[in-house]
Amino acid sequence: MTDERLIEVSDLVFSYPDGTLALRNISLDIYANQFIAFIGQNGSGKTTIAKCLNGLLKPNSGYVKIDNLDTREKGATKKIVTKVGYVFQNPDHQLFNNTIYKEIAYGPRNIGLDEKEVDERVREAANVCGVEESIFQEHPFFLTKGLRQRVSIASILAMRPRTIIVDEPTTGQDLRQSFEVMNFLRNLWEKEGHTIIIITHEMPIVAQYTQRVVALAKGNVLLDGTTREVFAQPELLAQTFVKPPQITRLAQALSKYGIPKDILTVQEMYDAFVIAQGKTSS
Amino acid sequence: MIAVSTQDLGWKYAGRNNFAIEHVNLEIEENTFTSIVGPNEHGKTTLVSCIKGLIPNSFNGVWRGKVEIFGKDTREISAQTLANEIGFVFADPEAQFTSMTVEEELVFGLENIGLPLNEIKDRLEWVTNITLVSDLLDKPPYEISGGQKQRVAIASVLAMKPRIIILDEPTSMLDPLGKDFIFDILTNLKKEQDLTIIVIEHNIEQVAPLSDQIILMYKGNIAKMAPPATFFEDSEFLYEQGINPPMATTFLDQLKRNKLYDGGLPVNLDDAIRAAESLLKPNGYRKGTS
Amino acid sequence: MFLGAVSLFILVPEINVVLIILILLFLIWAKVDISGLRIYLPLTVTVAIFMFAISTAFPGPKPEYHPFKVLGITFYLEVFYFTFASYWRLMAMLFGTIQYFSTNRERDTLVAIRTLKVPFVVTYFFSLALRSAGMFLEDMHTIREAERARGLDESAMSLSDRAKLYGMYMIPLFTLAIRRTDEISNALYARGYTPSGKIEGGGKRSDYILTQYPIRVVDIVLIVLMIGIFILAGFLQIRYGYFSMEHSPLYQFLLSRFS
Repeated sequence: MTDERLIEVSDLVFSYPDGTLALRNISLDIYANQFIAFIGQNGSGKTTIAKCLNGLLKPNSGYVKIDNLDTREKGATKKIVTKVGYVFQNPDHQLFNNTIYKEIAYGPRNIGLDEKEVDERVREAANVCGVEESIFQEHPFFLTKGLRQRVSIASILAMRPRTIIVDEPTTGQDLRQSFEVMNFLRNLWEKEGHTIIIITHEMPIVAQYTQRVVALAKGNVLLDGTTREVFAQPELLAQTFVKPPQITRLAQALSKYGIPKDILTVQEMYDAFVIAQGKTSS
Repeated sequence: MIAVSTQDLGWKYAGRNNFAIEHVNLEIEENTFTSIVGPNEHGKTTLVSCIKGLIPNSFNGVWRGKVEIFGKDTREISAQTLANEIGFVFADPEAQFTSMTVEEELVFGLENIGLPLNEIKDRLEWVTNITLVSDLLDKPPYEISGGQKQRVAIASVLAMKPRIIILDEPTSMLDPLGKDFIFDILTNLKKEQDLTIIVIEHNIEQVAPLSDQIILMYKGNIAKMAPPATFFEDSEFLYEQGINPPMATTFLDQLKRNKLYDGGLPVNLDDAIRAAESLLKPNGYRKGTS
Repeated sequence: MFLGAVSLFILVPEINVVLIILILLFLIWAKVDISGLRIYLPLTVTVAIFMFAISTAFPGPKPEYHPFKVLGITFYLEVFYFTFASYWRLMAMLFGTIQYFSTNRERDTLVAIRTLKVPFVVTYFFSLALRSAGMFLEDMHTIREAERARGLDESAMSLSDRAKLYGMYMIPLFTLAIRRTDEISNALYARGYTPSGKIEGGGKRSDYILTQYPIRVVDIVLIVLMIGIFILAGFLQIRYGYFSMEHSPLYQFLLSRFS
């Protein structure tokens, strides 16, 4: 983690128009080059806080500052979009142009870049996302779900935001598809230096890919720490109906034999087990 | 008695070049719990749609082979009788909810099959008790959560008292709490009702402990069909076919390969804990000790 | 609702204004959030401007019309007043409709239709339409959010661009709707529903929900009353012109000032 703070959230309170209090005095910071997961049951506020982070929702009190730009400032929307991108869960909600090229080009054109720059960005984003130039003139409607998701991400990437929020990247996908998306996001984090925030219910994915986890419950931040720290506290996590990955729970059930409580993978479990068994046989 | 059997079943969607499923032969005993796993677009939904009759009813394409429900060929049974015998729950809680209140939704299927009023009333009571939706009855769809909508979906299907119920990824769009709820209901259904249950799921960890047998669909064929105790042997093969055993099972499998464990492969957490503990207790049996 | 329907026959603006006030009072009594009606304000203003502009531009003056001048433009009293009266009639009908939809749950509407013993297919179609409208609105909301996340700033756009925007929203909406139709029709099929709504074996379709809504005496009295007033108003207007413009006191007053 570097020390550069990208987004500052201070004392954020948010209620929906119908009166539901969704976020209660939340303060947290998002730094450069982090891979973060927001977890918690439905209604805990994880999606709400994510939408506050890119200015989609504006605080009732407190503030969200992106690179020192307050999200409530007039005209902030166009500026925010080059700093924080938000990929919706269902790509169909975001795709509305009739060719893939135009879809990816929409964002850059909207902020007034010249055509040459737009073209450069489209090709760059498409390349990173594995969207081949040969399909640039195709209509998004007929693509497979995986490809639509990638076009969706590419259209956000073309704005070159430093922070990218992805809502449920692996829900409903099989193993291979999940790995593809997550490996792709990990690449964006490691090689391209983005901060990635995923909102998800899938704990094995969180365990395998993320380095920081923010768990929310009833509009408050319940836990905010490294992935290991957070999963090592199952009693607290239970408040938001989240269970650590199965292997972590196995480790925690065997902790009295010396197995650490923050195991995240099968390999770690195996190694710890061998050590523990060595101890008990002596 | 055999509830479902297919013989050389095949289906090719119109406009596609390849068969979505081919040469599928299986038998499912009545009152058992079968789960179907495998990568997306490899034939799981196609298979159950053929069993249910959605294919060929709502789709164009080429049909091969035969499906029999309790000995009768499905192509010789009408849609309404089939709805009576086989219930179907879809993945998307929104699209499944077609009425404006929960009560209407539950009663819809019953009215369709022409039941008289007093029978409808009885069934309504029975099904709301099993699925715990009694406090949701007069609510419209926009006031209840995804998990609750799925419960209503299961209830509305159960109300028709089918002998077979098929669920296509019932939990994929739900949060962990919703998922747990659904698996709880499935556990209850397995224990207390005379039902043949078939579930397509990606969440192998939660569905394997409930299953009497697991079917792996890969590239339109049945790649493996076995009870959970033996299904997860050879995790390399499974991984290649795009599925992962539950983490605890994989761990014990790794111990086994390294000759540190020689028991069976458990598929639920409690059994895995017990197996691991037996190896860690200072005076427990371990291979190689004197 | 019937208050609004009765306005069909009433051209005396004073009565229509009174009806509107009655409807508003009724809404307040029914605890409907009045501030929610604010969204209709632009509509009422636009319609007023439109109507008056047209009638002023194309008055079709007759010799007996009384002209008057304001800011150099010639208005004709009869034409002006007719527009005025029609406007209030329209508003009364509009408010009646708003009142109906604000105070009735969809379920009640459906039960009402079923009580009329309309064929099941029709009521089911209506019910499905309502449900789809609900899903449509939710989707609309999500799509607007998704587009804002792509940098679309609605408040910074001109009116014509905003109009084009709605055309743009149609694409994702249609995509979603098309994908959903498949799912919905599968769901219907799985519940044994056939397009004709008929039951195999030719039985009669029971209507369970209806059994929860028996008709009470109060209901029948109100229905008779409402139909009665509607017919009476219609009769009086059509046969005797009881509610036409000439009977408006304000109109008579203005006429006397001009002649």
